[in-house]
Amino acid sequence: MTRPIERIQLRLVLLSAVALVVFVSLLGRLWFLQVLAGDKYAELAEGNRIRLILVDAPRGIIYDRNGHVLVGNRPSLTVSLDPSLNGDKRGVIERLSKILGVTLREVEEKLQEKTADPLKPRAIKRDVDMQTITYIKEHQPDFPGVTIEVEFAREYPNGGLAAHVLGYLGELSEEEFEKKEKEGYILGDVIGKTGVEKEYESLLRGEKGGRHVEVDATGRVLRVLNSKDPIPGHNLILTIDRDIQLATEMALAEAVQSAHKQRYSKAAAGAAVVMDATNGEILALTSHPTYDPRVFIGGISKEQWLALNDEASHYPLINRATMCSYAPGSTFKPITGIAGLAEGLISPRSVFDCRGRWTGMGEHWAKFCWKRSGHGRIDFDLGVVESCDVVFYEIGYKFYKTGQEGLQKWAREFGLGSLTGVDLPSEARGRVPDKAWKKEWNKDNPRNQIWLPGDTVNLAIGQGDLLVTPLQMANVFATIANGGTLYRPRAAKSLSAGSGKVAHEFDSQVVDRLELSPDILRTLREDLERVVTQGTAKRAFAGFPIPVAGKTGTAEVRGKDDFAWFVCYAPANNPKYVILVMVEQGGHGGSTAAPAARQILSHIYGVPFEVPSGLVDPSR
Amino acid sequence: MDLFKLVRRVDLVLALTILALVSYGTLMVYSATRADAGGLLFLRKQVIWVILGFVAMAGAAIFNYNRLRHYTTFIYLFNLALLIAVFFVGYSTLGARRWIPIGPFNFQPSEFAKVFLIIVLAAFLATRRGEVTRAIDLFLAVALVSIPLFLIFLQPDLGTALVIMMILLGMLLVGGIKIRHLLMIIAVGLLICLLVFQFNLLKEYQMKRLMVFLNPNLDPLGAGYNLLQSKIAVGSGQLLGKGLFSGTQTRLQFIPSRHTDFIFAVVGEELGFVGGVVLLILYFIAISRGIRIATTARDMFGALIAAGVVSMWLFQIFVNLGMTIGIMPIAGIPLPFFSYGGSSMMTHLIAAGLLLSVYARRFK
Repeated sequence: MTRPIERIQLRLVLLSAVALVVFVSLLGRLWFLQVLAGDKYAELAEGNRIRLILVDAPRGIIYDRNGHVLVGNRPSLTVSLDPSLNGDKRGVIERLSKILGVTLREVEEKLQEKTADPLKPRAIKRDVDMQTITYIKEHQPDFPGVTIEVEFAREYPNGGLAAHVLGYLGELSEEEFEKKEKEGYILGDVIGKTGVEKEYESLLRGEKGGRHVEVDATGRVLRVLNSKDPIPGHNLILTIDRDIQLATEMALAEAVQSAHKQRYSKAAAGAAVVMDATNGEILALTSHPTYDPRVFIGGISKEQWLALNDEASHYPLINRATMCSYAPGSTFKPITGIAGLAEGLISPRSVFDCRGRWTGMGEHWAKFCWKRSGHGRIDFDLGVVESCDVVFYEIGYKFYKTGQEGLQKWAREFGLGSLTGVDLPSEARGRVPDKAWKKEWNKDNPRNQIWLPGDTVNLAIGQGDLLVTPLQMANVFATIANGGTLYRPRAAKSLSAGSGKVAHEFDSQVVDRLELSPDILRTLREDLERVVTQGTAKRAFAGFPIPVAGKTGTAEVRGKDDFAWFVCYAPANNPKYVILVMVEQGGHGGSTAAPAARQILSHIYGVPFEVPSGLVDPSR
Repeated sequence: MDLFKLVRRVDLVLALTILALVSYGTLMVYSATRADAGGLLFLRKQVIWVILGFVAMAGAAIFNYNRLRHYTTFIYLFNLALLIAVFFVGYSTLGARRWIPIGPFNFQPSEFAKVFLIIVLAAFLATRRGEVTRAIDLFLAVALVSIPLFLIFLQPDLGTALVIMMILLGMLLVGGIKIRHLLMIIAVGLLICLLVFQFNLLKEYQMKRLMVFLNPNLDPLGAGYNLLQSKIAVGSGQLLGKGLFSGTQTRLQFIPSRHTDFIFAVVGEELGFVGGVVLLILYFIAISRGIRIATTARDMFGALIAAGVVSMWLFQIFVNLGMTIGIMPIAGIPLPFFSYGGSSMMTHLIAAGLLLSVYARRFK
């Protein structure tokens, strides 16, 4: 029998084996963790330790062409809350909600929003007034985790002036973030949403600065490792002239009012554009109704947003000058005239017979002139001056009979049916209808696919399926005025760096030079001048000292009152300014739109403006 | 046996290894706490305990362990009395009542209970002469441990309770239990674990720790935080470490309990794989010397004491390092000779003293 002490020897070997397994597994794991995966963990440790605190760059200031500030910056105070706050979080949220006038749900949503840094305090309300800030500071113990930060907010010294050109800012949406992440945006950044704020976002925003700081486990900053100052955004100088813009906005608003007085009670919206015919610069551009970009500072409330997107408000955020397209009515007739002359279908001496009723396409397809009594025997020039529809029906029908799409070709030459390339976002393309378009448009309705004579005839008077934006139409007249050069309209003149030095000058860009014979151009320009002196715009411009050439338009829209148009340029002999005014459902161009154009020109030339009274003009 | 003879028979390798471990550990406690608000307070206290611990170790080494056999009943009852006293005069933090305050120090009876139970259990199993075949013997051994175990469980101090269970298993293994019975005990243990899960007997935080161990990314800012941060600390140390006192995870307080249960994270971060391996080697030497002492012991009692101490160290080292580097769930078990804390330091130094005593008396 073995001694008990010897009996346990074997058992001790077993214990040794267990010990060996323990040590080998610990050693193996250490090797894996520290040697094989060490790099990964080293990186994680750096990520723990070092945090990047971004410093926003001041956004570029936007000036008008004469150096007046249109959009500036001012410091604003933002109240933020630390999302990782422990303790009486509920109470803090309730107190904040009450004092800031933000609903509990909105605060909760803000806290849950995704941001680049999950520990970063979330902005609960931006641009908070000083009284509230003082209250929070005095009662700091009631607001643990609440911090007050200084941020830059946009400032609009002229209120809502040029709101559609300038655009507004808003917080980056998650969709935008996905697209823009590579450009260095982080969630929570504000970004230009419309207007030049959007178009020139990359130049205006500047470059964020930042500090790498070392933090401890509680997020306390221990020291700054390195820092970089933010680079302010470029200042943007627009082609807009503040004073002309103001006059244009007032004139348009008054035009809408005057439409009401003429019993066009549905008139509520419109657009007006002032351009430099010699280079495509936009001096003023407005859309009615307008909005106040100041409501977007610090984030727009849901109610305000819904109100701005309500039908009853007539969608004031839409820039009708570039984003909407309309039938131009008789303002299109100069193109028809030029096309007819250039294609040799008519001559300036062509004579037409207007009996008020036109049966050129057959008795069943009779069409009427706006002057039901008829113009009688009328030559081409007078046709333009009087805006005689029959004259243009005839020209349109001649185009149809050629079997070619010469009229459409000329419409496109003047830039219709394609983007003008203006430096404002969401531009509408408009539409020049032709055979191919009609076939495609009615592809589910084979009987309507055929291009009919009436289609060309309607097109000839700017009706039918033709759609143009007010800016496109202004550009057409600029092209006629300057002798055939189609410019890209633009709102940006130059850029300057923070020091004020001009960093970049935006040059005028020629889209196309039209091959127009000087004779044809001269004929048309004389006709357009006569429109103002003796034609459909005679009353509106009675006594105006500067020679003006223009064309009225009264576009028919099914189910709506007529849309009033007037486009002109001045001085007629040496064109500089192009003015376009359009009032949706505003009635006649000569009585609603033309006076507004005169008002704008009066301002430009410093001529006293008297409202022409009793101006109900049935002409087109 | 006179003192002179004793000194010549001391296990110098073990004694020096323990000294090295304790010095290494104290340095790491200093590194872990030097940036804290308390400043040098932790270091000072730890040094006091180390000194007291070495005195206790020397005492235990000099004392003839065989005479302990006569006091087993007293030791057992004294242990129970301390564990019961915790419930009356105990000081509670973090939801557990584990400490008895004595002056400026807090004394943790459950730590000392481990050594007391090793002595009592060794004395009991020694009388069975290396064979625990009868059911009654097995039952008695389990019963002997169960009462203090239950008291520790109630505190609750799950970590120490687990250590005591492993000590029991280790000593039964060496003490002569049939392998069949050992496997049955392990099976029953697993069954109990299963039932605990089934009836949700674990506290919520314990359940979370287990879930997080199974999937560390489950809750990186909550229950998984400790594990993640200690893994980052150890891993980022790489081969040579970031240098003593230069661990960012340590200095910036990303590692919780970095001077107590997670002290190894500091070692791993600041001294790297090399520092970790040095520590493992020291432990390996201590464990091997423990097993050798058990092998060469003069009698069963000495051998079983050594086996108990080895089981305790082995389990604590494995679980503590294992949780720090993510191969074991988080359990509040300190690292022997390393973790900050007087009771733990004293317990392990006394245990080392017992080993030295057994070794010194290996010849009749």
